[in-house]
Amino acid sequence: MKFANEELRNKLAAEYVLGTMSAHARRRFEINLRENPALRRAVADWEKRLTPLALALPDLEPPSRVWQAIESRIRPVSQARPGFWGSLWFWRFSSIASGLVALALLIMVAGPRLDQVPVDANRMVVVMNDLKTRNPAMTVSWQPGKSGKRVVRIRVIVHAEMAPGTAWELWMLPGEDQKPVSLGLITTHGIQSLILPAPLAAKLDQAEGLAMSVEPAGGSPTGLPSGPVLFAGPLVET
Amino acid sequence: MDADELSVLLSRCALRDQQAFKTLYQHCSAKLFAVAVRITRRRDWAEEVLQESFINIWNNAAGYNTAKSAPMTWMTAVVRNRALDLLRRPREVEIGEDHEDLMASIPDESPGPEELLKQSMEAGALVECMKQLTGEQQKSIALAFFNGLSHGELARQMQKPLGTVKTWIRRGLERLKGCLDARDI
Repeated sequence: MKFANEELRNKLAAEYVLGTMSAHARRRFEINLRENPALRRAVADWEKRLTPLALALPDLEPPSRVWQAIESRIRPVSQARPGFWGSLWFWRFSSIASGLVALALLIMVAGPRLDQVPVDANRMVVVMNDLKTRNPAMTVSWQPGKSGKRVVRIRVIVHAEMAPGTAWELWMLPGEDQKPVSLGLITTHGIQSLILPAPLAAKLDQAEGLAMSVEPAGGSPTGLPSGPVLFAGPLVET
Repeated sequence: MDADELSVLLSRCALRDQQAFKTLYQHCSAKLFAVAVRITRRRDWAEEVLQESFINIWNNAAGYNTAKSAPMTWMTAVVRNRALDLLRRPREVEIGEDHEDLMASIPDESPGPEELLKQSMEAGALVECMKQLTGEQQKSIALAFFNGLSHGELARQMQKPLGTVKTWIRRGLERLKGCLDARDI
């Protein structure tokens, strides 16, 4: 195996981060980097060691045209209706997601509560992927269109542990540049449900997707996601 | 703005929160632009690097891992890599030795690598460990890091054989790693 030798990995990672490699060597190294987690760790370690040096540079304000150019490149994504889920980020994983809708359906069909779901009823399903591993982590489903309160069924697929003093908070992403709305705190249990009050339930069918963030015990103090987002996924009607 | 606040902004970027992204830009762009200008030595290139880096940050915010690196470390690495790619590419293909001429012509009001080293008070342990290196090791590492010089460019700039410069760097980095690891950095 290439770079099996820790010393070599360390030496090359150091040169890469320091920046002394030629263009050719950088390209070759980056190809290996994609395939080799140990090499990525070595690079991250060197970035951690050397990057503080860069903080010594005196700040230099970039001209405002840089931000304007950046803004114009991220804007169209959210103005055209695809919104949140039209982003590159989403489409890169959409094939995984669509495969998972099938999986989620299978889980629901095979699940013990089949008798409670009318066969012809549509369901809304959100398959949420773990944003780090890209693997499916959680599904959320409900029956759309009803007025009044609504029961949302949640399945946590991954085995996860909540750090002490933290909570998992589920968020609705309404899209169209609107801020995420809290649906409440959830647990790490495999099967659970949330009961949403009518005003929230009414908005849920039109949401673009859901996300889960880690918050202090008791939920986000700000009313918006304040901690890292672990899982997220788009809403799909089945 | 501390690392935790920056992490929160990054996780909101993962939620496509454009306001959070703008705040992130406002807080970090001056530092990151300085990094880009320093390496590319050209404002127009540095602007391009900054723009591409922030698009990269926006698109990859969901993949940013708080446990693995501090937000500023992650973003600085994005900018440095972009800048180095840009610097290496045209240099080898198009403009030949221009870069060195440009470097020579940069007015010296900007601090040299060694002064920067002295100024990086925030770097704490790193600076302490840098002090344990020989003068040549310090100088070659600082020149490479701040000015983006390759091994070959370093050898020319320092007027020493390539092998000598490579050895300074390798031994200097080894010693640095030993010192930082001992301090659990």
